[in-house]
Amino acid sequence: MERVIKVARMQLINKWVFIGLPLLILGCAFVFSLAIFWIVRENGGEGTMYGGGAQAPMWYFLALGIQALTLTFPFSQAMSVSRRSFYLGTVLLFGVCALALSVFYYLMGLLEKATGGWWMDARFFALEWVADNNGAVQIGFYFVLMVLLFMVGFLIATIYMRWRTTGLLVFFIALGVLLLGVIALLTFNQLWGNFWTWALTWTAAGVTLWGGVVAVVMAGASYLTLRKATVA
Amino acid sequence: MSEQTPVLVRNVSKTFKDVKALDDVNLQLDSHKIYGLLGRNGAGKTTLMSILTGQGFPDAGEVKVFGHTPFEHDGTLSRICFIRESQKYPDEYKAFQAFKAAALFFENWDEQLAQELIADFNLPLKRKIKKLSRGQLSAVGVVIGLASRAEVTFFDEPYLGLDAVARQIFYDRLVEDFALYPRTIVLSSHLIDEVANLLEHVIIIDSGRIVMDEDAESLQGAAVTISGKAEVVDEFVADYPVIHRDSLGALASVSIQQRLTPAQQTEAKELGLDLSPLSLQQLVVRTAMGRNVLASHQDQAKERTSWNA
Repeated sequence: MERVIKVARMQLINKWVFIGLPLLILGCAFVFSLAIFWIVRENGGEGTMYGGGAQAPMWYFLALGIQALTLTFPFSQAMSVSRRSFYLGTVLLFGVCALALSVFYYLMGLLEKATGGWWMDARFFALEWVADNNGAVQIGFYFVLMVLLFMVGFLIATIYMRWRTTGLLVFFIALGVLLLGVIALLTFNQLWGNFWTWALTWTAAGVTLWGGVVAVVMAGASYLTLRKATVA
Repeated sequence: MSEQTPVLVRNVSKTFKDVKALDDVNLQLDSHKIYGLLGRNGAGKTTLMSILTGQGFPDAGEVKVFGHTPFEHDGTLSRICFIRESQKYPDEYKAFQAFKAAALFFENWDEQLAQELIADFNLPLKRKIKKLSRGQLSAVGVVIGLASRAEVTFFDEPYLGLDAVARQIFYDRLVEDFALYPRTIVLSSHLIDEVANLLEHVIIIDSGRIVMDEDAESLQGAAVTISGKAEVVDEFVADYPVIHRDSLGALASVSIQQRLTPAQQTEAKELGLDLSPLSLQQLVVRTAMGRNVLASHQDQAKERTSWNA
């Protein structure tokens, strides 16, 4: 456990990567969105205005998942850290950061509602589909989404570490074939209508739950892959 | 626990695609000794060290470090330090951040020694590691390796890109610190003459096989080159393991891996033969090349007979 914590501390030696950059991305997206909302409002735009800028840091987590592994894993090996400790420390640290950011999203959502959408009926944090749920579901939703994206990056990077380019090729070709199969299935059976009706019944709580399951499966898969990964 | 043998290797083999990187390797490394792991590029040095430090895994055989398989065993790993020759550092890391991380993980880390070495090597601490020159990059590895004071420390071609002065600093500091804090040190190298007098034990690896595993002292004079008239030389060396043969006209110069008794030395001199001991570097070169050269000689010989027939 001691070494797991040390791995988290090692990841934080450069605080920019895990803390500074996500906050900067979020800050910029927020300020830019507010500016756009203001321009629209000043020029006679009517009704509630929605912005999707809050997801900006989440896409960075995809890259962070890749980076945390490809660059730090070879170094952690030189620091005589077991793969298990490296994995736990890194995922644990990301979990804590994601949780803190999720709570921040929730609090900013409350503030957004309290100020009447930043005094101009704008929605950046509190998008109704999510914000109409209770606090736990909201925080859970953001958290799962962040972990999911981080895990996608992490899994892809572990596959690369273990099987290099060949592994990635096989992975993406298999993924492509799978998606193509699903599309063919839906198209041949004329099920697209049903699919979209079904997709629209999804709630934030449902997405949180199933997203959580997928994230756990990916976490397990990336651990098993990392167990036998080598740096050279 | 510290009583246990630091490193024990039993029948370890490893194949990469069609290349046999390690072929039935057996080794034992004892505490408080400086080992030289010598061999050509691609001989299997880095592969062996990777497996000894749990970074790689063997296809067959087993490795014990202080009685444990090092793979995924934090307790054992924390007593080992292995910085690769091509070590990767996180992209944004500056040199001082790498040392900060090392101070976290290596329990015996000596910050003062690290600072002295940094000064010795003129390392720019605030510069990003990816912007360092090859020599400075090697110096980062050397600082971590020495200051970690790990019970088993591996240096993988530590001098790459270091100038002669920096290399001498490394050798001096290594010997100095080793005297104060004896531990098991493995120096992988192909600059053999330079490190020869640091080494207490020499392991030579060639094409994945350990071809020599002996105390440095006993290697002094373990191989000799005998030169003189070809037929006299050939007759003299007939019963000894030949590792190299040069000939020019009627003269020949043959290296044998055999310690000659004073009587044999006198006999050689009486036959008008010259004797000269092989340096460690020549010995490695001859041992590594000898097998190939002899093999091709035999092939040529076979070819000649088949031509005649």
